[in-house]
Amino acid sequence: MALDRKVAYIDLATGNIETRPIPLDVRKKYLGGRGLDAYLLYNHTEKGIDPLGPKNTLMISAGILGATLASASARTHIMAKSPLTDLLGSANMGGFFAPELAWAGFHHLVIKGKAKDPVYLWIHNGEIEIRDASNLWGKTVTETQWAIREELDDEDVKCAVCGPAGENLVRYANVMTGIKNSAGRSGMGAVMGSKNLKAVAARGTMDIKIAHPMDALNYNRRFIDQIVSAKVNQTQGTLGTPFIWGATNSWGGVRCRNFQYNQCEYADDIEPERLDEIATETMGPYHMTGCFGCQVHCRAQYKIPSGPYAGKYDEGPEYTSEGAFGGEPDCKNAVTVLTSNHLVDQWGVDNLEIGSIISWAMELFEEGILTSKDTDGLELRFGNDEALLEMIRRICFREGWLGDTLAEGGIQASEKIGKDSFEYLIQVKGMSNLHSDERATPALALGIATGSRGSDHLRSRPAIDLYHLPEEVLRKVYGNPVPYDGPLSSDHTSYVGKAWMVFWQELCYMGVDCLGICKYHTTFLGATLPNFEDWTKVLYYNTGLEMSPTDIWGIAERCYNIERLFNLREGLTRDDPRKGDTLNHRYFDEPCLRGAPDVIGATIDRKKFHKMIDEYYEHHGWDENGVPTPETLKRLGIDKEPSHLL
Amino acid sequence: MAIDTEKLSGAETLRKTRTYGKFRCHNPSCMGRLTPAAGEKQVRCPVCGMEFRVHWIRPDFPRIRGPVWDVNRRLAEEAAAKKLPKKAAKKEGK
Amino acid sequence: MEPMGKVLMINYEKCTGCRLCELVCSVMHEGVSNPSRSRIKVVKWESEGLYVPISCQQCQDAPCVNVCPVKALSRDETLDFVEVDYDVCIGCRACVSACPFGAMSFDVIAKKVIKCDLCDGDPQCVRFCEIEAVEYVDADRVSVFKKRDAAQRLSAAQKEAAALQAQL
Ligand code: SF4
Ligand code: SF4
Ligand code: SF4
Ligand SMILES: [Zn+2]
Repeated sequence: MALDRKVAYIDLATGNIETRPIPLDVRKKYLGGRGLDAYLLYNHTEKGIDPLGPKNTLMISAGILGATLASASARTHIMAKSPLTDLLGSANMGGFFAPELAWAGFHHLVIKGKAKDPVYLWIHNGEIEIRDASNLWGKTVTETQWAIREELDDEDVKCAVCGPAGENLVRYANVMTGIKNSAGRSGMGAVMGSKNLKAVAARGTMDIKIAHPMDALNYNRRFIDQIVSAKVNQTQGTLGTPFIWGATNSWGGVRCRNFQYNQCEYADDIEPERLDEIATETMGPYHMTGCFGCQVHCRAQYKIPSGPYAGKYDEGPEYTSEGAFGGEPDCKNAVTVLTSNHLVDQWGVDNLEIGSIISWAMELFEEGILTSKDTDGLELRFGNDEALLEMIRRICFREGWLGDTLAEGGIQASEKIGKDSFEYLIQVKGMSNLHSDERATPALALGIATGSRGSDHLRSRPAIDLYHLPEEVLRKVYGNPVPYDGPLSSDHTSYVGKAWMVFWQELCYMGVDCLGICKYHTTFLGATLPNFEDWTKVLYYNTGLEMSPTDIWGIAERCYNIERLFNLREGLTRDDPRKGDTLNHRYFDEPCLRGAPDVIGATIDRKKFHKMIDEYYEHHGWDENGVPTPETLKRLGIDKEPSHLL
Repeated sequence: MAIDTEKLSGAETLRKTRTYGKFRCHNPSCMGRLTPAAGEKQVRCPVCGMEFRVHWIRPDFPRIRGPVWDVNRRLAEEAAAKKLPKKAAKKEGK
Repeated sequence: MEPMGKVLMINYEKCTGCRLCELVCSVMHEGVSNPSRSRIKVVKWESEGLYVPISCQQCQDAPCVNVCPVKALSRDETLDFVEVDYDVCIGCRACVSACPFGAMSFDVIAKKVIKCDLCDGDPQCVRFCEIEAVEYVDADRVSVFKKRDAAQRLSAAQKEAAALQAQL
């Protein structure tokens, strides 16, 4: 059997390290990556623990296909209780770390306790060592990685690190690898910081067995053809992910000035095509790069063309940086976006969250809820690029009252700021919304309202809903692998059948995250991209596991329900504005003011939204409060959790 | 092994529906197919009147770069005047 | 006319650094995923975004062939590449030291030297590198391609210079 991979349990307080093989029956229930992490989290944390305390458990993993011939088998998944939301924390990054971890002998790490002094883990060909990191503390994301390579005298060491933001317990700090790859949501970097764990360094020359090598090679060729032939991936391969922001801004589907507008007008300088020009000017015609094994290569290399950071090398910016540092604060300068992107990459903080929080603070400032006393004299207004850059620094280093307050995340900050500041906060479950504006797209609104890690576009977004695909195409996608004959609508402003789409995408993305591959390689932005049916082959050739599409679907459903159980245990209730499956009231009350004529005036309809949630719960087999019914748990074989199989 | 290796998957069969050279208008209820002439930098939707700047990924592969701001802004203002209560529309003017 | 041997042509400027070539090379030869057992390696300067795939140049006057004390290395006549005869090889690694490109490696698991064998004429690295940073071309074409590239850069630079001059 090719699947002979291991999990390591590491107690930072005692220094105790234990390794175990991952049994096949556990694989068959949870596959790996995010799904198995969710199982481990549910089994290795107690209810109500402090996410930044020693009792939180941090999971770091490769997917079951990590390091194999599965197109980009590159993704690292990180999980713990989130210091931002007090609910499920879960983040995912590309790059080269997960495969290296696999070649170093491990697919899953379960990290407990808190080290007395700063440490890093050195994982090398089946061995794990806890090493002193006092000389690394305070270093930026790349400084840390280069220093570790120097110390270990090996250029090929790959690291997952936290930056200064993680050390400073900014509640939305990232875990990062390489120049910019970020496990960037829900504050996993702060969990590392709270454990005095500066980095996990991996380097391995061990074999990952491939069950059927020649078949795996041949199938991967076909798999890659399927992936790179998608128009969306050809676009990503030249313009990178900013193209999504550009396309969405064009019709009025992005946030601007916190949540006042749904379009950033005359944003020519931050259009993806403009950013591409800068990348070409500073790095030459071949400036795209990517993750391990990936032929999409969706990120640009660039140097900051001017300003105080002129000449600094970085990668991206991603679509999130464009929204977070361009559209939301209404700073329409490429150099500002590129510089902000560089700062968050170096300091290791979630670009999406910090941009969103700063825009919220800008609106509070303009509304007089925050005053210049609170900002220590900073004119925290929309369109003030310097104020944006200054606030990024203050938050990452918790400088001044406001920097320190905003580092606590939106909900806690709103309690400190008081007045009706919470009403302006665009969040779900305490996590800021993406810079997209979902008022004209009910399916997308439902997705962010129900995502298991809080507001999020990578949990369940049915992005192809925006393409007006004919119903028969939608049926072909959403009617498999389990039959669905309920309604489906090609109209993305409608509420019909959207609950099913969101449910389907949830399980699709869970599948991807268990396999450890990239979401651009599945039914996210293109209808022709691989999903359940295709995965059976890639799984079989690489690992020898024989599964049907519905088997994988069932596993995804099981894993999603474990995440739900965790959230319910930690206090999720349906209508709680801070911890529920809800949206900020502005989605319902404030109409869209900009964009395509049909988008003007759009809001989410309260009643229809409520009904969509009902439908969505029903698809899941959850009751009207969003709690899995006993039958559902039994059907999925998780009625006796925690079961401590691992 | 029960896996049929030759058979195309559902997603693979959808590949034949792919077309190059055109894209859809960005207005949700319009979604008209727009086909810019080779190399053209701008298109106008004959149905709803929105205008877009065009970027060419490849000579056969155009995409919308962004709106022609002045034109689409005017269309938006007209729509707002019809659809929005006075208070909300005023906010846009501020 | 004698058939001209084909060679791997690497254009590192195009390389995205994905290392798929390393992966497929190790799967092809060893049936496992393990870049340390790959015949091609992407050397990276990550802080500058520079990636350079390195593989055997199949040198005409090959230092590895010359240095081998037991004559385990020779030129394969059909595909025109430097071949290791494992029945003769004693694993002394003299060739590893002699190769000026570091293209001769030592596989620590199989305990043998390894180098590019052009995958029996169907190079897997080429098959998978979508961006064509590695290509399999007739040996005499390489310099033609390089000349054309250089000429293109030159003329682009000249055009730029002319444009700048016009602005003055
Ligand atoms: S598509 Fe982009 S993010 Fe995904 S694996 Fe490829 S390079 Fe990485
Ligand atoms: S497959 Fe091509 S792009 Fe990827 S690392 Fe190898 S040479 Fe570079
Ligand atoms: S031609 Fe074959 S042996 Fe040589 S580097 Fe490429 S994949 Fe490896
Ligand atoms: Zn139109």
